Amino acid sequence: MSQRVFHPLVKLLLDGDITLADLPAELRREGEEAMRLLGAVDRRPVKLPEMSQRVMQAIAQRHERSTWRRLLEPREIRVRFRPWLVAPALAAAAALVIWLGRPEPVATPAGAVVTVRFVLSAPDAREVTVAGTFNQWDSHATPLVRTGATDLWTATITLPAGQHQYAFVVDGVRWVHDPAAPAVDDGFGRRNSVLTL
Amino acid sequence: MLTVLALPLALLAMQQQAIADRLAGRVSPDIAALVDELGTAAAARGLPVDPLIQKAIEGSAKGIPAERVAAAVRLVAMQLDTAAGALRHSGLAADTVAVAAGAFAITAGLNGRDIAQLARSGAQASEIIVGLRVAGTLVALGVPRAETVMLVNATLQSGRPAGELLALPGQVQAAMAKGAAPAQAAAGLARAAAAQARRGPPPGHGRPAHPPPPPHP
Repeated sequence: MSQRVFHPLVKLLLDGDITLADLPAELRREGEEAMRLLGAVDRRPVKLPEMSQRVMQAIAQRHERSTWRRLLEPREIRVRFRPWLVAPALAAAAALVIWLGRPEPVATPAGAVVTVRFVLSAPDAREVTVAGTFNQWDSHATPLVRTGATDLWTATITLPAGQHQYAFVVDGVRWVHDPAAPAVDDGFGRRNSVLTL
Repeated sequence: MLTVLALPLALLAMQQQAIADRLAGRVSPDIAALVDELGTAAAARGLPVDPLIQKAIEGSAKGIPAERVAAAVRLVAMQLDTAAGALRHSGLAADTVAVAAGAFAITAGLNGRDIAQLARSGAQASEIIVGLRVAGTLVALGVPRAETVMLVNATLQSGRPAGELLALPGQVQAAMAKGAAPAQAAAGLARAAAAQARRGPPPGHGRPAHPPPPPHP
C-alpha cells in the first residue's frame, strides 16, 4: 500500500480549513487530486460482527467482575487540571468550611471555664489588680500588667461559667468599677462590675 | 433514734466549720459570728450560704466599717429569702444556684414579682437561672424592669438556645453604643424574640414547644 504525501496547504484543504481557490496555482492540481481521492473513499459504515461481539463480550465481562476485584485491582487514574474550575471549586470548599464552622450560639455548660480579658485605662496608676467573687476579693491575687507604653492595664484569666462581680484596685487602695461593664450597687455605697458568662 | 438526731447536728457542725474556715483571717470576729449565725439559719432553710460569705469578705477587703458590712450581709440574707419566696411556686426554691441568681437580680433592681414572672416562663431550670442572671445584668445596664422582664421572658419562650440569653447584654450595649436608649434597645430585641416565639425555633434548634404553666393566684 503506497502512501502519498501532500503539501501542508493541501492537507489544510482536506481538513476543510481552506478552499481550492485559496491554494496557489502550482498546488491546485495536487489539491484537485487530493479532493478526488477523498471523494473516492467509501464512507459507508463497515459492519464487523466478530469484532463487535468481542467488544461487547469484554464489556460484559468487566461488569461481571466482583466488587472486591474492582476495588483491589490497580487502575490508572488520570487527573486533568482545568484552571477554569479552580475558582468555583475553591469557592465551594470555602462555603463548606464556613457552613461547617458556623458559630452556633450555645449555652455555656455548667462547669465550663471561659477566658476573660480585663482591661482598664489608668495612665497614672503604678499598680492595678482585679478582685472579685472569683478570687475571694483578694486584691493581690490577680495583677494587671501595663500593655507596652500605653495607659492600658490588662489581665487575661479563665473563670468558671456563671456570674461574677468584681472591681479594679488601683495602687492598692482605690476600688473602681469597670467603666466598660454593667455595674450594681455593692451595698457599701460603691459599684461592683458584673460579668455574666 | 439517736442517729436521726445526730445526723442533722453533724451536718450543722460541718456547715459552721466550713463558714468559719472561709472567713478565717478575712473578717473581724464580729462579722464572722454574724455570718455564722445568718449562714447557719439560711442553710437550714435550704438557702445558699456563699453570697453571705462573699459579701462579708468583700466588705472587709474594701476596708468598710464592720457595722456597714453587717448591714450589707443582712441585706443579702433578705434578698436570698425574697428570691426563694419568688421561686417557690415554680419549684426552684430548693435550687441554691437559682436562689443566688434571683438574689443577684434583686440586687440589680428587679423585685420578687419580676423573679416569679421569669421563673414561670416555662423554660428549663438551667435556662431560668441564666435568664435571672441576664435580667440582673440588663437592669445593671440601665434597662427598665418592665422591658427587662419582657425581653428575657420572650427569649426564654422563643425556644432559642440558652446561649442567646447570654448574648442579650452585649446586644443591648451594642445598640446603646449606636445611640439607642436602653429601653429602646431592649424593646427592639423583645419584639424580635416574640416574633421568633410565634414562628417557633428554627429546625434543629431550641427545645420542643413547652407551654408555660398557668400563673398562680
